[in-house]
Amino acid sequence: MAIIERPSTVPALAGGGAPQFVTPSSSYGVFRRPVSSTGWRSWLFTVDHKKLGLMYGGAAMFFFLVGGVEALLIRTQLAAPDNTLLSASLYNQLFTMHATTMIFLFVMPVTTGFANYLVPLQIGARDVAFPRLNAFGFWCFLFGGIFLNTSWFLGGAADGGWFMYQPNANALFSPSHGVDFWSLGLQITGIASLTGALNLIVTILNMRAPGMTLMKMPIFTWMVLVVQFLLVFAIPVITVALFLLMFQRVFGAQFFNVDAGADPLLWQHLFWIFGHPEVYILILPSFGIVSEVLPVFSRKPLFGYKFVVFSGAAIGFIGWGVWAHHMFASGLGPVSVAVFSVSTMLIAIPTGVKIVNWTLTMWGGKLRFTTAMLFAIGLIVEFTIGGLSGVTHSVSPSDTQQTDTYYIVAHFHYVLFGGAVFGIFAGFYYWWPKVFGKMLSETLGKWNFWLMVIGMNLTFGPMHILGLQGQPRRMVVYPEKLTGEGFFNLHFWNTVASVGSYILATGILMFLINVLHTARKGAKAPLDPWDARSLEWLTASPPKAHNFDVIPHVHALDEYFHLKYEEVDTDAGPRLVKVKTAEELLAEQEANADEHIHMPSPSYWPMIVAIALPIIAYGIIFSKVLAVAGGAILLLGMFAWSLEPSVADDSDYDPPQGGAPSKELASV
Amino acid sequence: MSGVEQRVSTVRFVKQRSGIVLAIVAAAVMLGGCARNAPQDTFQPAGENARRINNLQLPVFIIAGVVFAIVLGMVLFIVVRYRDRGQEMPKQTHGKPALEIVLTIIPAIILIGVGIPTVSTVFSLAKTSDTQCVINVTGQQWWWEYEYPVQTCGGVNIAEPIVTSGELVLPTKVHVLLRITSNDVIHSYWIPKLNGKRDAVPGRIHPLRMEADQPGIYAGQCTEFCGLSHARMRMDAVGLYIADFATWVANQLQLAPKPTDAMALSGEDTFRTQCSRCHQVNGLMEENADGTNSDKPVISFPDLYVVAGNAPNLTNLMTRTTFAGATWDLLNDQCRKALHDASPDKFGALYLKGVTPDCFNEADLREWIRNAPAKKPMYSSEAQKAQNGGKYRGMPNLNLTDNQIDEIIAYLLERK
Repeated sequence: MAIIERPSTVPALAGGGAPQFVTPSSSYGVFRRPVSSTGWRSWLFTVDHKKLGLMYGGAAMFFFLVGGVEALLIRTQLAAPDNTLLSASLYNQLFTMHATTMIFLFVMPVTTGFANYLVPLQIGARDVAFPRLNAFGFWCFLFGGIFLNTSWFLGGAADGGWFMYQPNANALFSPSHGVDFWSLGLQITGIASLTGALNLIVTILNMRAPGMTLMKMPIFTWMVLVVQFLLVFAIPVITVALFLLMFQRVFGAQFFNVDAGADPLLWQHLFWIFGHPEVYILILPSFGIVSEVLPVFSRKPLFGYKFVVFSGAAIGFIGWGVWAHHMFASGLGPVSVAVFSVSTMLIAIPTGVKIVNWTLTMWGGKLRFTTAMLFAIGLIVEFTIGGLSGVTHSVSPSDTQQTDTYYIVAHFHYVLFGGAVFGIFAGFYYWWPKVFGKMLSETLGKWNFWLMVIGMNLTFGPMHILGLQGQPRRMVVYPEKLTGEGFFNLHFWNTVASVGSYILATGILMFLINVLHTARKGAKAPLDPWDARSLEWLTASPPKAHNFDVIPHVHALDEYFHLKYEEVDTDAGPRLVKVKTAEELLAEQEANADEHIHMPSPSYWPMIVAIALPIIAYGIIFSKVLAVAGGAILLLGMFAWSLEPSVADDSDYDPPQGGAPSKELASV
Repeated sequence: MSGVEQRVSTVRFVKQRSGIVLAIVAAAVMLGGCARNAPQDTFQPAGENARRINNLQLPVFIIAGVVFAIVLGMVLFIVVRYRDRGQEMPKQTHGKPALEIVLTIIPAIILIGVGIPTVSTVFSLAKTSDTQCVINVTGQQWWWEYEYPVQTCGGVNIAEPIVTSGELVLPTKVHVLLRITSNDVIHSYWIPKLNGKRDAVPGRIHPLRMEADQPGIYAGQCTEFCGLSHARMRMDAVGLYIADFATWVANQLQLAPKPTDAMALSGEDTFRTQCSRCHQVNGLMEENADGTNSDKPVISFPDLYVVAGNAPNLTNLMTRTTFAGATWDLLNDQCRKALHDASPDKFGALYLKGVTPDCFNEADLREWIRNAPAKKPMYSSEAQKAQNGGKYRGMPNLNLTDNQIDEIIAYLLERK
């Protein structure tokens, strides 16, 4: 546990309950322990879940732009038939890295950022269970992502597609180091996912505020919990696959060598047993976000909370039994194909439950069309398109016509862009005032939303047509003479999709402008701008370092709403009456603040251990000496980390705490 | 505006919108039926299995369209009807379990309705017991080889194995079983108008049934990402009436005769020294010192030079209409169009004429022979050869002189 309470041996902190910031000064061991609460050091060595959440989000947005530029290059190449803008080799690297970046370096970390920032706030905790592990996870993600992208400058990026099918991705058929960077980089980011998942599971199960039973937990936290369990089981599978791939390529192992008797379908099974739950890892956090946003802007509780929770869990379970629907054309035989067809259809049921519940949440409500709400409604509509196209290829005979065509590209972009990304943007607009204390511009937000909606439908909508007209994926060129005539001409719809991608990019540019505009001139956010329902709105905006002055006691689902509103009997029947304002609730918190709030101390070691990993990885590719050096850093870092107490000694603080060598400490 | 009027106008508004949606869906379906000259349209089946798939997918698409129209209609209705007009805070209801259960069961019933025909179609597509002809299909970077084993194929006796590439020639209305495998990486065989796709996996043989209703050319391409020139790995299936198929078989089994034309005769020499290590021409013989044929056939051994261990057999190159992974035409545009537009009854005769000199598209073949990797990206430079373990992937640049290219083209033009 991060929050360490010990009997106080020092006088109560002054300041009417507001915790005082004190700065440790003396050195710890060989190194001085990092204790800054301001400046860049406070970010670099932080273990604060909020700072880490923001860093996850910021780094992920950077990779989002990288992946976006890759997408624009792909669409520019395909705008016209027989285009010679990109070479086949570069094109193959671009689509491989576009997918890898968007999945592993954007959607996964940005949703981890949301979870990191919001879960402790939503459950009334002051940090996550293992703060240094949390920092370690972030640095693994960032260094892994940077390592992966340095392959562009070190002989070329991976070119085997994000699915990296064997034997096409082995050393004979993909001789550049790209796939080595890919397998090692994703092993490093996998460590981030795994440590993050364990951390959040322990946090959610153990650190909820008193009274918050599982069925009173905010729905976003619920979906995050399901996702963390998926990660705990899925990441080891891909790690095994990546490990085998690395040994195959770097050390000459024979796991996928057909000449040595291997069956290359082994890779496909390993990859998709990870790969399909991964889809739910990407989408469920966004389902959680819109399940928070829709009730707030409909002024109603989530319709069928229990159904939404259990359908989320059901998706998590059934998601493990559908992987082979990615392999309907790979020659599994009719029995397997039939079984996986049916199991895939099964998963449409809990997904449909969610669509129904969101729609019925709005039914009878009092809808406010803020940008966050628009993105949430956008998700319902766009995701439904993606879900229904998913049903059409759960019908495996149809899938043998559609798989590996643009129809599939259309399908998963409606799911992942119309679903996951719209949910993420809804989250940005909804929680921005909480996180930064400033309102994102609603005007720019509307531009952002509508350009993204129009752009995404123009980009991905025509891909349904392209795919059903037989245009396969991963094609650097398509010949003019086979584009067909009339309404379904492939050239025309490819051009439309490319134009759409630029409109989409403009929409995302609007968001960036909005962020800059808000940072410079944004209006200060009221404490509770949306009349929200969950606990994260109970604290100040931006939240205090220790989140809550006093840990709230939870009595109901939507606790915060019930603190503000009470049902009063009137002549005209029961009516909801606002009994307390957000300001009054915050004042109550401050008045009853805990005397001593103990927060975990910053540390160098998570970052140092994490930076050893890409050094080892470069070493595996280029030089054994470097790998050994990285290993030494790793071992020393782990050793120092294990010796470091999770909180700084009192003697580290200035002024010294209580004058005596007590074990008391203060917030950082 | 009163509440009632509001509701009426809302309902009307939503009705209009869902009308538009339905109109769009209907228009799309209609236009889908009219896609012209769409060589890989998955909604224009031309064979039994593709038709089975189409019969299954059409109703599924319609159901999906209707469900989407309902969801969209609901959302639009709610957005208009329940927007914030200053009404009271709504009642804080947490859901109606009975309604939820009903709304869970309805999609389950729809999916059962979809699932039963799906499973039955899966098994009917997998049926191979009534096979009338077998063709072995082998993928490699970046072309397809077809081998017709000794058999009676749809009533036509194949006395010796036939090896060809690029074009899969099928007798029409015959149940043909493809036995698909690969020599290097995973590829996928797909002729959309005849059947769905099936991966070609090294070390495994996957069955795929094909039937063509009518003579004609059915386009397809490799759909499993297979490396650098994945986009230039195409194939065509060619349907021929059984009588025409018998003619085609007889022609394929003829050995290449000694060229008569002087240019082609020099071309045979050049071919022997420059091409025959990888490319087999059945009937090509070693030459005696006096320029006459010896009785020793020239046998290619591509496994020494190429990673996939294979290169296209060129014995009957000019009976095909494409080359280099069915990517470029051997026919000029005019003759190509005439062949593709030919009626089923006239198609066979036209196809069996092969590439005549007046129909020959020389430009692409010349560029290819001059510098193949410049036309189609392959791993066949000397540096890449070293990375490939000393073998090429694809055809290297042979640095031939103009004269040699002229000779080879003259020689190849007689390969039919």
